[in-house]
Amino acid sequence: MLPAPAVFHFPWELHPNAVEDGASVRTFGRLTYYRPEESVAILTSQHASVQYQVSVRTGFVEPFHSILGAQYLVLGEIEKAEGESAVTVRARILNCVDGVDLAVLHRAITEQRNFLERRLMETDSQTSHTYND
Amino acid sequence: MEVELGGGEEEPPSLLWGLDPVFSAYSRLCVRDILRMRESRQVPGVYFYNSHPIFQVDVLGTVVYKREREDFYCYGVDDSTGVINCLCWKNEKWRDQGGGRARGAAPGGFHVEEQLRKLVEAQRSSSVLEIGELLRVRGSVKTSRGQREIRASAFYKVNDPVMAVQISWMLEMPELYRKCYDKPFKPPSSELDSSSAAADGPQSFQSLLGRAVRAVKEFLREREVRRFRPYDVEYLLHPLVPRAPPQGTPADPENAGPSVAAQIRQLLKETLKILLDEGLIFRKVLSPDEVYNVTEHDKDLHMVTRDIIREDSKREKYAEKGCHVLHILSSVRQNYSRCLSKEALLVTLKFLECNSDIISTTECHYTVL
Repeated sequence: MLPAPAVFHFPWELHPNAVEDGASVRTFGRLTYYRPEESVAILTSQHASVQYQVSVRTGFVEPFHSILGAQYLVLGEIEKAEGESAVTVRARILNCVDGVDLAVLHRAITEQRNFLERRLMETDSQTSHTYND
Repeated sequence: MEVELGGGEEEPPSLLWGLDPVFSAYSRLCVRDILRMRESRQVPGVYFYNSHPIFQVDVLGTVVYKREREDFYCYGVDDSTGVINCLCWKNEKWRDQGGGRARGAAPGGFHVEEQLRKLVEAQRSSSVLEIGELLRVRGSVKTSRGQREIRASAFYKVNDPVMAVQISWMLEMPELYRKCYDKPFKPPSSELDSSSAAADGPQSFQSLLGRAVRAVKEFLREREVRRFRPYDVEYLLHPLVPRAPPQGTPADPENAGPSVAAQIRQLLKETLKILLDEGLIFRKVLSPDEVYNVTEHDKDLHMVTRDIIREDSKREKYAEKGCHVLHILSSVRQNYSRCLSKEALLVTLKFLECNSDIISTTECHYTVL
């Protein structure tokens, strides 16, 4: 069976109210913490002068070459723990993408998102049209 | 199964598919659309996205699933809009490796065999992927056991350490959709069934209009007309419009009579509109009396334009590059005719330049020597 498509999310969009448990996501951040014995890593990013942290379970992708301070792209499923204010990503893929142009990546993600949303709106209006006919 | 796109639309006849450039190209659709395209009822293996016939696609995505079979790999490719299976055939020449591995190549010197082995090794490494790596695949879309998949005709691992390839792909795709895939394909009307009168009507009017425009242009050039009123040129259009249909019913000549006159009036109106849009004619004043000036033969306009450029090129502001088109336009409008169109001015400038009265210094600056 194929897994669900992992949709791009900005790190600051990953809070428990905004994403569902088990949703497939991809996001990015600077690796600031890694503990192999617990298989836990933390990706940090900044947006509008606020620092965001995404914790990542790395059990599926170990061993990997960890470089503290480098940009990583993670693809995996959301895990929500009871009573916790942050979500965890159980990584299926963790790639080092250090040197990525974050500004352009932002633009690409926003562009793609706008494009898909616009299309979704168009097809919705079309289907409602055909039903009305 | 997901909802299919455009279930209700008519698919064009297969004879016309080849006229759509999208048909013979590898379409860069996002995976979600590949999964949702509707399969053709005429030919299985051909799909329709927005009335474009499509059978081969070009996809870039992350490998999220991998299964090895005897003669192919099956990769699940995720482009963040969907995940699709790609069947990538193993190459025959990588079957029996291992044997010629340590053949003791002497250090130094050029060994063809050694280089060839390295080349094959490089090829092999770019065609065997692991989960998490980026795959670009081109191939035909198939549906087997209710599931869409891509049978690869070419595929390779993409080295993208800083995501440059992925980002440019993401930025390009909306543009491609806008310019190409989301525009519905319309086969040229001449290829359609010519017996249908509805398709015939507008097309013959277009060709009629083309002939009318040519006739009027020729008349204006040969007689060096400076200004005219619509009824001066109306007689030129009479031979173009067919008289009442020869085998038509003779009972209603009243009906046929006004329709020809109305046709001519309509044709004349459209013809003048085209000439206005091209800037070949313009109206000096918008009064009820319709007078059209012919741009190329309006000596006053030429003089005014030339004088403006000559005078203003002396000013310090325009001394270096000459006057900008928009500056000339606003001056001419102030001094000569309020309703001169930009097109008409461009025709004037071109005419003056052809006569070496003025010269262009850049694409949109003019000066006088």
